[in-house]
Amino acid sequence: MNKTLPIILHLDIPKHVDEIYSFTKTVLATIMEYKELDLAQQRRVKMIMVELVTNSIKHSTDENSSIKLAIDHPTVCIEKFEKGLKIEFSSTAQQIPFEEIDKTIKISFSEENNHHIQTLDRYKFKFLNPFVEGLSLDQIPEHFGFYIITLASDSFVYQYDPEMKENRYIVNLNL
Amino acid sequence: MKISKQQSGDIGVIIIEEKEANLSNSDEFKELILEEITSGTRKLIISFKQVEYLDSSFLGALVAILKALLPYNGKLILTDMNDDIVNLFQLTRLDKIFILHNDLENAVKEF
Repeated sequence: MNKTLPIILHLDIPKHVDEIYSFTKTVLATIMEYKELDLAQQRRVKMIMVELVTNSIKHSTDENSSIKLAIDHPTVCIEKFEKGLKIEFSSTAQQIPFEEIDKTIKISFSEENNHHIQTLDRYKFKFLNPFVEGLSLDQIPEHFGFYIITLASDSFVYQYDPEMKENRYIVNLNL
Repeated sequence: MKISKQQSGDIGVIIIEEKEANLSNSDEFKELILEEITSGTRKLIISFKQVEYLDSSFLGALVAILKALLPYNGKLILTDMNDDIVNLFQLTRLDKIFILHNDLENAVKEF
């Protein structure tokens, strides 16, 4: 366990749903070659990996989506890269590029998929803790992917590189 | 999507016969259960005894099923979830919305 850190690994994202869980377990085993993780920490990694990869398989057209895994002490950073168009929000929310920086705004991907985000620069934002106390069943969303990543991580940031036409999903975990 | 159905009085028991409850089978599962509700089942138990992991797509399907039961005053109980799945419900606070039980026997008694 005294291997030199940081370690940077580049991984291809699986293309089929039935490969997701085995991929997730492989990533977890790789991290655990370098860091001891308790059960709760292992679960956080698994949930994040499952949702990042599921999101790609569900929404991305990039055949070469990839993940960069940076294992360091005390952080693990999981970055997903996907070529393509930037994220677009529905309704009347601000779109990328943002006009106002360091603002908390509400965005929506669909009627039941709303999030609060903090704009970090014109092409970058951070997902904020999604919960409102006392949410009732009819207010509960039916889309949980980004919620789960936000809740299971210490920070979840989206960035678009307009020159590379690349989406980046950056997840940081203090482990 | 492999499931098996049992009837215990007026309670419909659905056992998921898959290791993975995910994007590949969530829509089909939702449609199967919504058909059950449409055909009159109001008391439902879903057992996850064989399920190793569950993703956000399946979580969304379960929320849709619970919402579909609401107008009928129906009830849904989820049972036999492993620790990873229970943890996912706790993280998303859906453990406050769904009724979770350790086993089928106790779930049946809940009705």
